[in-house]
Parts: sequence; structure tokens; C-alpha cells
Amino acid sequence: MNSFWWASGHLGWGVFALTVFTCIWWLLFDLCWRLLTIRIVRLLALMAIGWMLSISFILLGFYVAGW
Amino acid sequence: MLLLIVQLVILSVLVGALTLWGYYFPYPSPLIRRWLPPRKRWPEAQIRHWLELGGFQQAFLNYFYRDPERTPPPGNIILAPADGLVTSAELRDGVRYLVIALSFWDMHVQRSPATGTVIKVETKGKDFMDGEGREFAFLREKPCPVQKRVVIATEYGEISVRLITSLAARRIEIWVRDGESVTRGQRIGRILLGSTVVLELPATLNLSVLIGGRVTAGETIVAQELSLV
Repeated sequence: MNSFWWASGHLGWGVFALTVFTCIWWLLFDLCWRLLTIRIVRLLALMAIGWMLSISFILLGFYVAGW
Repeated sequence: MLLLIVQLVILSVLVGALTLWGYYFPYPSPLIRRWLPPRKRWPEAQIRHWLELGGFQQAFLNYFYRDPERTPPPGNIILAPADGLVTSAELRDGVRYLVIALSFWDMHVQRSPATGTVIKVETKGKDFMDGEGREFAFLREKPCPVQKRVVIATEYGEISVRLITSLAARRIEIWVRDGESVTRGQRIGRILLGSTVVLELPATLNLSVLIGGRVTAGETIVAQELSLV
């Protein structure tokens, strides 16, 4: 098991960051959906792009920093 | 080990947040309600569902029963008796009728449109009903919805405030009695859960609001004497 999933007696920072970010992103999506007058398809596309970009940064950071 | 516990606590909080989201969906979860405007915080479908169940969320009731202070503007003017949307303004048989529709999210305390003396408080109607034209049903020979009419003798003539129920709004509280003096903007009653308020004015008064406009009880000027216009 590498340190992405598990490291020194705790969850790996990689999987922890991905899980926390995805949960918060989902709740944020719900808030935006209720607050903004925007077509759901457009909002879904924007949130999906945002999620993929952010996940990419997290994975890149994990890879570069070698957590 | 400590790090693992901290991580699990954070994940548990997030799982709790997602569970709340799923439990309340399609209505907003309590975690985000505070950031939403009232109409989105308590959507109409949710309020109608509560009406069917006969129970309401306490936060909504606190919001619904709000009774803010209002400052009536000076001058010889008639003020709006209720918060809401002007849906009709008509002159019929020498009486000017101004119909104000109240939504679930409007403030529901009604205020006196002018200074004067309460001549009578009438109760009319037998049924609760919805639908177009119900606000003027009392003018026809049709059964009208349950309503209370507060008639006030003012310097402009007799002015009436008619509080009309609907299927959703079935309770009316009147806080003034026959012979009691009222001042402009004074609280006169409350209609519960959104309905209609009709202001009846003498034809000598000219309306100063348009259909589709929003009015605020005790603050918005809705009519003035013709000579002043």
C-alpha cells in the first residue's frame, strides 16, 4: 500500500484530500444550484470542470510533493 | 493514531452533511439554509407539504410570525394595509378596490391605512377557496371565502380593509374593536399563511400604485386625495 491510500497509521493525504474536496464540492454545487439562476446543464458542466481541475491539482501536488 | 482520529472525525462530519443533504433533498439542507433567501430557503412545495401534514418547521414559523416596526411617512396619504403584490386596482360602484396578494414569505401583520375610528368589524363567508376572482366574490351573489372586514371612519370617508382567507390561510386575527381609535400604520390584525387583503377606498381618492408593484404595510403610499395629485 502506498502513501496515497495509507501512511504511517493514518489515511493517506491523497485519498483524504480527494474525499474531503469532493464532499465539499458536492455541497457547494447544491448551494450554487439553489442560489444561481443558471441552466442546470451549464452548472453541471462548470462544476464538473472545476472538480476535474481541482482533483488534477491535488494529484499533481501529491505527486510533486511526494506526500 | 491521533492523525487517523482527526481524519475520521472530519470525514464523519462530511458524511453527516451529505446525509442531511440527502434526507432533505429536494429541499435545502439545514446547513445551507442560512445562506438562502426566504423563497429558496422554504420553497412553496415544501410549505404546501407542511400544510398537508399540519406541521411546520420552527425556523419557518419564526420567520412567518415576524412583526417588524414600520415608520409611516408624513402627510395626508393612505398607506398600504399589507405587505404583498398589487394584483388588481379597480373602481366599482363608487368604491376603489386595491387588491394585495400576500405570499407565504410576506410579513402577515396588517396595518391601518389611515387615522380614524373603527366603525365595525364584520365577518363574512362560509368556505375556504382558491382561484381567480375569489377576492371580488363578495361583490357577486356567489359564496365568498371566509373574511373579515374592518371599516374605519377617516377624514377621507369610510375606508375598509378586507382580510380574505384561502385554502392555505384559514385563520384571521383582528386586534381592533368597534369604536376604537386607530392611527396610520397601527397594527390591526394578522392573516395567517398567505392570502389576500383588499383595501376599499372612496372614489375621491386617487391610487398611487400600479398593478404588479410591491407594497409594504404602513410605509408604502397607495392613495392620495385627488386635489393633492
